[in-house]
Amino acid sequence: MSEQNSDNSKQENPGGLWARLRRPSKKSLGGLLAVGFVVGVLFWGGFNTAMEATNTEKFCISCHEMYDNVYQEYKETIHYNNRTGVRAVCSDCHVPKDWTYKMIRKIQASREVWGKITGTIDTREKFEAKRLTLARREWARMKSVDSRECRNCHSFESMNKEAQKQRARKQHEMAVEDNMTCIDCHKGIAHHKPEGMTEEDEE
Amino acid sequence: MKKTMIAGAVGALLALGTGSALAAAPDWGKVEGKDITAFYPGVSPLEWIQKGTEHGGARALKKGETCADCHSDEAADMGKKMASGQKIEPTPIAGKAAFIPVKVQAAHDGENLYVRFSWKQPAASGAAKMDDKNPVKIAFMLEAGGKVDLADQSGCWATCHTDSRTMPGADEAKTKYVKGGSLAEGKFYDLHQWRSGENKGFDGYVADKRVMEGGKALVSAEGKKDGDTWSVVFTRKLAGGEGDVKLESGKAYNFGFAIHDDSAAGRFHHVSLGYKLGLDTDGHIKAAKQ
Repeated sequence: MSEQNSDNSKQENPGGLWARLRRPSKKSLGGLLAVGFVVGVLFWGGFNTAMEATNTEKFCISCHEMYDNVYQEYKETIHYNNRTGVRAVCSDCHVPKDWTYKMIRKIQASREVWGKITGTIDTREKFEAKRLTLARREWARMKSVDSRECRNCHSFESMNKEAQKQRARKQHEMAVEDNMTCIDCHKGIAHHKPEGMTEEDEE
Repeated sequence: MKKTMIAGAVGALLALGTGSALAAAPDWGKVEGKDITAFYPGVSPLEWIQKGTEHGGARALKKGETCADCHSDEAADMGKKMASGQKIEPTPIAGKAAFIPVKVQAAHDGENLYVRFSWKQPAASGAAKMDDKNPVKIAFMLEAGGKVDLADQSGCWATCHTDSRTMPGADEAKTKYVKGGSLAEGKFYDLHQWRSGENKGFDGYVADKRVMEGGKALVSAEGKKDGDTWSVVFTRKLAGGEGDVKLESGKAYNFGFAIHDDSAAGRFHHVSLGYKLGLDTDGHIKAAKQ
């Protein structure tokens, strides 16, 4: 009896924290969901905003390694400056657009943070010495995904080969024929080609 | 084709009309011409054009494309890049002409082939003369059957090598040559040249080395300058001796030419890409029977 009483008293005590958590009122449940939703949106938005911030040209060239070397070369190219005023910034070519692939690439980029901390390319000499290795790594990535980032903007289907110069037309016709991918030929399109490239690099 | 035929017919009538039985050049005003841009080639020998890391077209070359397939429309632009030193020219000459538009005409009469080149003299660079005897030289080469490696694709480039004289660091005694060059096997280029200062024609060949004289095909080479326009006519027997390509009606031959303008020597010339000269048959340049 007394047990029952005590149970009753527990049940009847609406002020008990445990009970309120275990059996929340409809109001508080709604409140919780609303707060959770807002926090979730803020977190997700914040996360993506932060991630997008790392995708800007400003962020990329905030490191002198990028600013002094590859950025200066890229500024001379058509991807930086052209008659129609469309610019492809660093991330347009070097970071996938699709979220999953972007996340994978961003996680891989932690290696670049480590490189920055340990100063693997912090002088012109060190950069030039490592340039071929770095370039080959990026060429391999691009080739493995069939030049996906190039194809965000370019495609054989939308190319008007008639409007191209004789040489480009010929090369693109051969590329389609041989099932080639953009990076097979367009190495060094936005940066100088590294010293010491071999014939295999052009295969 | 019609024009060529009419030109041929008119030429034949004229020949009959004048009763000329001697080897006589055709009426050039009636022979169809082909406009070809000769350009300054910098240091782009056969080895360079095949190197993928340097030449984006190396892959196309491997696939069998010709130089002209990709570059015939842009010869002038290529010349500008190289003459200015922007590309593959370690010692650019200030004021050097980047390219020379040339009109090439050809005809034959069953016995001789007549080839005429005409072009406007470009402005002089004012640089030191490399060949002080000859302000201008023009040469053309012929190859039969594509027996020389890459001859069908690359024209005169098949004779131009990284170790030929005037190339950076090359031996000054080493001339042009072709890979596996042999007159007996037909692996050679027939070479004809006219030099303005000496006013003389040369009939040679390029096999394991370049030989300037001794050919039996060249009948005459005559050049003149009217105002600022040069015209040079080569008269050459269809037949010939050792080191001469024997020409036959119905066949096409690999053809290329070079002008040494501004008293130039060696590689500092203007060159054409490789073309086909067809005798009564298709070719970039057609030599119809007169």
